Amino acid sequence: MHDMAKRENNDDDSARVKRVKVEENGNGKMDPATNPYLSHLYDEQPSEYNGSNALSSFKRHATTTKQASRAEDGPNNAFTGRPLSSKYMSILKTRRGLPVHQQRDEFLKLYQESQILVFVGETGSGKTTQIPQFVLFDDLPNQNAQMVACTQPRRVAAMSVAQRVAEEMDVELGEEVGYSIRFEDKTGPNTILKYMTDGMLLREAMNDHNLTRYSTIILDEAHERTLATDILMGLLKEVVLRRKDLKLIIMSATLDATKFQKYFHNAPLLAVPGRTHPVEVFYTPAPERDYVEAALRTVLQIHATEPEGDILLFLTGEEEIEDACRKINLEAQDLSREGGAGPLVVYPLYGTLPPAQQQKIFNPAPPPTTPGGRPGRKCIVSTNIAETSLTIDGIVYVVDPGFSKQKVYNPRIRVESLLVSPISKASAQQRAGRAGRTRPGKCFRLYTEQAFKKELIEQTYPEILRSNLASTVLELKKLGVDDLVHFDLMDPPAPETLMRALEELNYLACLDDEGELTTLGSLASGFPLDPALAVMLITSPEFYCSNEILSLTALLSVPQVFVRPAANRKRADEMKELFAHPKGDHLTMLNVYHAFKGEEAQSNPKQWCHDHFLSYRALQQADNVRLQLKRIMEREELELMSTPFENKKYYENIQRALVAGFFMQVAKREGNGKAYVTVKDEQNVLLHPSTVLAEDSEWVIYNEFVLTTKNYIRTVTSVKPEWLMDISPNYYDLSQFKKGEIKQALLRVTQKLQRKEAEKGGRR
Amino acid sequence: MAQSDEDDDYMNMVFEDAPKGPKYETSLQRAARKRKEGEARARQKTKAEREADAEAAREAALATALPETNKGFKMMAKFGFKQGDTLGKSEDARKEPIRVDMKGDKSGIGLESEKKRKFREQWAQAEREAKRSKEEEGDYVEIRRLEAKEKKAERDLDSAQRTAERLTEKEAEDKGTPQPADKPWKDVNLLWRTRARRRAVIMHEKQQRRELNNSLASRLPTLAAEDDDEEDDSKVAQGRDLAPFYTSLEDDFVDEDPDLAEFEALPVPERLQKLLTYLREKFHYCLYCGYQYPDAELEGCPGLTDEEHD
Repeated sequence: MHDMAKRENNDDDSARVKRVKVEENGNGKMDPATNPYLSHLYDEQPSEYNGSNALSSFKRHATTTKQASRAEDGPNNAFTGRPLSSKYMSILKTRRGLPVHQQRDEFLKLYQESQILVFVGETGSGKTTQIPQFVLFDDLPNQNAQMVACTQPRRVAAMSVAQRVAEEMDVELGEEVGYSIRFEDKTGPNTILKYMTDGMLLREAMNDHNLTRYSTIILDEAHERTLATDILMGLLKEVVLRRKDLKLIIMSATLDATKFQKYFHNAPLLAVPGRTHPVEVFYTPAPERDYVEAALRTVLQIHATEPEGDILLFLTGEEEIEDACRKINLEAQDLSREGGAGPLVVYPLYGTLPPAQQQKIFNPAPPPTTPGGRPGRKCIVSTNIAETSLTIDGIVYVVDPGFSKQKVYNPRIRVESLLVSPISKASAQQRAGRAGRTRPGKCFRLYTEQAFKKELIEQTYPEILRSNLASTVLELKKLGVDDLVHFDLMDPPAPETLMRALEELNYLACLDDEGELTTLGSLASGFPLDPALAVMLITSPEFYCSNEILSLTALLSVPQVFVRPAANRKRADEMKELFAHPKGDHLTMLNVYHAFKGEEAQSNPKQWCHDHFLSYRALQQADNVRLQLKRIMEREELELMSTPFENKKYYENIQRALVAGFFMQVAKREGNGKAYVTVKDEQNVLLHPSTVLAEDSEWVIYNEFVLTTKNYIRTVTSVKPEWLMDISPNYYDLSQFKKGEIKQALLRVTQKLQRKEAEKGGRR
Repeated sequence: MAQSDEDDDYMNMVFEDAPKGPKYETSLQRAARKRKEGEARARQKTKAEREADAEAAREAALATALPETNKGFKMMAKFGFKQGDTLGKSEDARKEPIRVDMKGDKSGIGLESEKKRKFREQWAQAEREAKRSKEEEGDYVEIRRLEAKEKKAERDLDSAQRTAERLTEKEAEDKGTPQPADKPWKDVNLLWRTRARRRAVIMHEKQQRRELNNSLASRLPTLAAEDDDEEDDSKVAQGRDLAPFYTSLEDDFVDEDPDLAEFEALPVPERLQKLLTYLREKFHYCLYCGYQYPDAELEGCPGLTDEEHD
């Protein structure tokens, strides 16, 4: 903290001093012939400045900014030896203007001196694209056939940043610079810089405990504290002790990096201040009765009264955002027509929005309706993805109601759900900061200053405290971490969370009673899936339907395939009816996939999806995921087969195979209506309104337990109770059940089965 | 002997159980019971009942920690984990899962706690009042005496001010310089200015009412009366509730006239004393004698205060 404060104060000065020093060197001592800036004047270059030889004089971990700059200047690419393009040159100029570039010397010094380094740079400082390149020129991973890894919490970021850096380095994406995300690997034998999701690096560690392929690992956006980043930090803390040659950089965008420093044995810290302007913060005098309504009012007021500048409004989810956009649009049109304000264009922004529509937020604000009239403005209504991960220039006004949708998990009722919750103080500060990107801005907080101080928690809870850890525990076991109780995490979760995860894995037969990994568990950890899904897939050949379960697993791993636009709900429901299977949603989804792969649909899949209110993107993705999973199955020699469609057991086999994965997610109907009670946890739930279940079903399996003000189960399929006891006798050990209706019902089933057995025996 | 004593001890006598009904229910009874149970089961719970059940079950489950019989617990115990321990190596690790809070409406941050705070305040206020009244019970007589005295002082103050005003007006008329009826209240002598101000407020109010009745209320003739939770604005607009105007004047008053505010803030006896002195000095008038003496000596008047006139 102390260090940083000092840096903030002195930054301007120190940067100026440094620049002067470089110039001195250039003017005074340097021979103009070796001056890289004048290299174009000297045709006969010494060979060491040429092409890949430019790096030959470099001493690993002892290079300077000067050397690197010379190599970057070309004329040939330092890593490929090919001549550099003019596009490269123009990008290079921009790159050298980025804030991080001014601290390259300092960065190199700390990087060379220390095994672990914490680097703080705000969004827009250029850290994600530049730091890995700085590392490349000093770490020279190509000399030892190693790579530099840079992790990202999001797939999209990994892809787009890799694309950008490939351009900056003037190489083909997938060659020297590549990326690796779940279900997609775009790297090759020449790759020296690999952007990847944190989850992918974790998966790689399962097969290579010391991550020997990498010479430097950069954990970017560590402040987001994703589950995978937290686990990686715990692992790497141990790996760096075993591998003294491995360097580790933790990059964070927020100033609270001291926590990282402390966790990593007081590693040195380097901070690059971002370019930000002051933001004036306003609070409401009293709490708001309806935060959405208050938000709309505020946006319109800003539009009518504040000078030019775009607006960013934070809301919680797709539906709320689309609804708000519609309302703002209507009101703003009225305002504009009456001459009370200029034109206003409203754009929604959320994760599931197609990329083409996401791009629209970068459109410039509309011009005045009449030349010289009141200036136009754009308003972006976004989830918290605009909080850190996306930078939108031109935002001057931020409206912050103080809520976001956050994942919560509670091991006591085993529910993992997205709930609207108050944000943290850190989040609120981050949101306000978005208003000061281009010039001084204003942030309107729709709560009182008192509420900000007293009601908001300091930091958002890291994901590890809000997640089911079954998947993570399986990965850690595979990673060879045996003692999970004392595994050194930055924020250890509640013990019950680990308890529940171990228990679930035991019921899934992935861990034995001693907590040791079983063969099935080891196999399941090889699939990039939830343990329940992996187990279902692995056991599906026993039910003669691995082809179908493979399709279903893929469908359950992608976003919702059904599209239900607000303006066309009825038509969408009619279309869904075409695919409906009376036994439930899983089978309905399978019908959709089969139809999608049919001849008629494949002749023009995009149009077909559009006509049937299906998401082309999701189905395409499912297709891709299926292919990847199929490869793993083939590698593991798991047989792919189907029950003949004519066989009357075709669907029953699929239902049974579903039970093999989802026997812990079962509900029994209570009375005659839509009300169900979950088995063991005994939670009252309702079938989600989207459910297709034509038949009377006393017992169902569900994919998701959704918490809202009501409890819902979503993606539901009918099953028979005897299957439950047949397929998972351990979980359905009735002596472990609480007294009650569910136990009674299951006892009746057992007795019936026994009677049948006896009859059979008698007849024999 | 002892034996017979015991036998005779009627205190220890054991009664046969009171006769009960038949040990087994009859077929008719069973049928009736089954029917009742069946009806209870078959009855569809109302939506509200179901929701309440669901919430109760959820809250109960959320409040119950996983038991030590949990298989996961046993695996963790292998590594020395005990009930009450935390995971990892940091000091301040979590013991309990994060609470699950469902948000059922669109209320803004702080609204819930604001409601709770108001409720708490009201409650505390009620408690304070209850406590105070209890304390006062003890010296009821003394309190009543003080109250009576205070009330009397207020009445005296009022009549002293009235008298002072009257005498001043009379004096002006006698001099041939009668004061204009619409003399701004701020120009009135501080000692009785409050009377003038009160009159001005009433006038103002009447005028407002008239104006509003003539304009808005007449244009919105039927939109009145029945709905109680209308916004304050509309009540005012319809001239039905003039409290806001009054309060706004009340608020202005400190800004408008700090002198008067200061004077009014003085305790009643002190103000009364000031007026009594003024009346004696200016008009040789004693309120308690009810007589205007011819000269400053006020001969025959026992003194300034009421007590002295007893």
